[in-house]
Amino acid sequence: MSSVHRCLVLAVAAVLAWLPAAAAGAVDIKQLTTPLGIKVWLVEDKSTPVVALSFSFAGGTASDPAGQAGVTSLMAALLTDGAGTLDAQAFLRRQEEVAVSLGFSASLDRLSGALRVLSANREQGFELLRLALTQPRFDPEMVEQRRAQTISQLNQAEQQPRSVAGRTLMKALFAGHPYAADPEGTREDLNTLTPDLLKRRAAVLLVRSGLLVSAVGDIGEAELAHLLDHAFGDLVVGTVPPLPPEWTPPTAPRTIVVERPVPQSTAVMALPGIARDDPAWYAAVIMNHVLGGGGQQSRLFNEVREKRGLAYGVSSGLRTYKRAALLVLSTASANERVGEAIRIVRAEMARMRTDGVTERELADAKTYLTGALALSLDSSGSIAGLLQSLQVDGLDPEHLTRRAALISAVKLEDVRQIARRLLRDEAMTTVVVGKPVGVVSEPKE
Amino acid sequence: MTLRRRALLGGLAAGAAVSPSVPALAKLLTVGRRPAESFTLANGLQVVVLPSRRAPIVTQVLVYKVGSADETFGHTGVAHFLEHMMFKGTDKVAPGEFSRIVSRNGGRDNAYTTYDSTGYHQTVAPDRLDLVMRMEADRMVNLRIAEKDLVSERQVVLEERRMRTDNVPAALLNEAVNEQLFGRHKPYAMPIIGYADDIRRLSINELTAFYRRFYSPGNAVLIVAGDTTPEVVRKLAQKHYGPIPNRRVEVRRRPAQGGTDLPQRVSRGDARVVEPRWSREWLAPSYRKGDTKHAYALQVLARLFGGSETSRLWRAMVADNKLALSAYAGYSPTSLGLTSFGVGIQPVLTRTVMEIEAAVDFEMKKLVDGGVTADEVERAQNQLLAGAIYAQDSLASGPRIYGAVLSTGGTMAEIDAWPERIAAVTPADVVAAARVVWRDSGAVTALLTPAEGSR
Repeated sequence: MSSVHRCLVLAVAAVLAWLPAAAAGAVDIKQLTTPLGIKVWLVEDKSTPVVALSFSFAGGTASDPAGQAGVTSLMAALLTDGAGTLDAQAFLRRQEEVAVSLGFSASLDRLSGALRVLSANREQGFELLRLALTQPRFDPEMVEQRRAQTISQLNQAEQQPRSVAGRTLMKALFAGHPYAADPEGTREDLNTLTPDLLKRRAAVLLVRSGLLVSAVGDIGEAELAHLLDHAFGDLVVGTVPPLPPEWTPPTAPRTIVVERPVPQSTAVMALPGIARDDPAWYAAVIMNHVLGGGGQQSRLFNEVREKRGLAYGVSSGLRTYKRAALLVLSTASANERVGEAIRIVRAEMARMRTDGVTERELADAKTYLTGALALSLDSSGSIAGLLQSLQVDGLDPEHLTRRAALISAVKLEDVRQIARRLLRDEAMTTVVVGKPVGVVSEPKE
Repeated sequence: MTLRRRALLGGLAAGAAVSPSVPALAKLLTVGRRPAESFTLANGLQVVVLPSRRAPIVTQVLVYKVGSADETFGHTGVAHFLEHMMFKGTDKVAPGEFSRIVSRNGGRDNAYTTYDSTGYHQTVAPDRLDLVMRMEADRMVNLRIAEKDLVSERQVVLEERRMRTDNVPAALLNEAVNEQLFGRHKPYAMPIIGYADDIRRLSINELTAFYRRFYSPGNAVLIVAGDTTPEVVRKLAQKHYGPIPNRRVEVRRRPAQGGTDLPQRVSRGDARVVEPRWSREWLAPSYRKGDTKHAYALQVLARLFGGSETSRLWRAMVADNKLALSAYAGYSPTSLGLTSFGVGIQPVLTRTVMEIEAAVDFEMKKLVDGGVTADEVERAQNQLLAGAIYAQDSLASGPRIYGAVLSTGGTMAEIDAWPERIAAVTPADVVAAARVVWRDSGAVTALLTPAEGSR
């Protein structure tokens, strides 16, 4: 063991020196503005005959009008269910004929879309995109079908421990705030949605203000600009929907147990997190990586799974929204042992808060996080997704070059400080779904 | 090569005012395919290199030709448990260190077990390929299993089983379906992860015996994809895997028959189910076992019958007759033994199971008696071939395809010929395949419902 180890430490230093440049070099991002003023990032890549487009509009499910919970998600699903003269079957057949994949989905803050097309068929692909954006039909029959499927999914989610845990957590953390609402909506509101309401929602959200676009693949600048103006040009400039109100994080600890007849309980724990533009962001990323991010090297993985066999999966992650940020930890363990798993997770949070991370952990996290950027450049779609996430976070393309320096500048003390700032389990919300032994709701409901 | 591809694409674009023809797509796939190179070391290790310069990363996948179908009843879960224990160290790498070393070198790693194969993979920067090959070769022969690691990992595997199966009513029903379809106590009838009682009993001796029996260079395929060259891979593979002596591994056998008492019906009423599901699985030939000549037509059949929302089944059940919320058909030919062809329906709540079955039977009969059109076969072929072109856009899918085919008795030539073979399927082939597979004597019908009285 030791011989392998020693040579590795040297190797790590070497890899740190060159990886950032290599990863950034692989993504040569051009920033263009089309004649109609649409801003787009492009990575031209002729290695496969494919074009991938990733885009999003400002405004998501958190701004669903009162009494219309679910309208944005349902509208997003229906955009590809018929447009212009093509009904749902004809639209999908057309997609299949020209091998185009086109889909929309809504998150709390944004309405996103992705287009993938063989470069030989790019014109047909962008034409289908134009139709979906500008002439969606919302045929009553398709509205009924998607509504029924959505309600069915809501029903099933109520029996899946992980879904129940996730939903319960968001409801508890964001009580009284729009983020508490299920992005898929509620049965009651879904049942009142009409084609007309869906059309109106599309008209409000599908506007060029706040539109973010990134493209990857076998396409040149001039042609991309032309095709984007064709697809998005008929949309009005409009205005960006107002942001949800500010969020006040919970200040008291809370445990919620939701009973479900399953042998294994799912546990999720959440604390207020850190905003993407906070100067301590990368210190937090490193802290999270050591605690429970990234996989099989984390402290939680080691303590909960490797040493004690308490769970198959245990992890932590930073989540950011337009108006909130969370640190979420999750695991799943037999009903009899989930209490112990939660205790170990909390003990690890406390240890990190008191002692921070070691020099070795800091160095290892830096190497991983620097190298991991290249690991995500696996397909046209994933590169377009990476660009889109930079755009959503308000970063510029040079961030990919700066990122390595920002990571390597993080010091032990920075991680200690952010651990003390974030890992305050006196404000932690815990949700356990199953039949946990020895875990009860506190305060009592 | 690049020029020829460009020219072809130009031709495609011109002809694509309607849609690219199936032969054109098949040609595009063949010509556009990245050059794959394969060679075999003296000890029998087959090596495949799939170069791609897209990103400065390289993926190593080592696939052993052994899976859960090589276990026996009463001793299930060994292949998967061993996959877990392969991370528990050798003389040179401490328990749990393997993944930590990959991570601190900027990489990611994991592993998987299927019925027929067990794979270990890492994605790293190109100059770390030497390191991960050294470690992967090391654990091919030098695995050390300590009692204390076995004890804690047993709990991990049981938690994995709870998460994937015991907490999931559909997965529990699926175990019952496979027992009937493939015949109790036979390969493919038993779950990959194993039965909980077997996992509880598994000993170090069993794991070690399984490891010695199957983990050998001549019983493995090494696939390296990404930013590297065949020359580099050949040199590194020779250096790390080359010195490992081959051991004779017995030829794996799979039964020619499945369940003997078919057709069967299985059902599960479960308090955790809110909406019913109906499905039917038929024993089906794979690339390797049974009436293998139908394996390509069955892929086209699955696609046109229930592969998308324009398929026959979806249109009949969901779009036109409003009997169901969703409908699908599925078939995977990559198996050393027999495989299955499946159809699944999520009924509208007001419809009865009898109505659903009658409607599915009607659609099947219509296809078998009335045939399929050249147009719908061509559209299905188009979708399959386009899917394969998109697969080439992802670094992960090449190793996955090569690993699955080469570990189940397939060849490089077969992978190369796939586009032409799919393109060659005729409407008559599709109907003939449907007739062979859609037989009562090979079917298990499954019903998942809410628990009695819970609604």
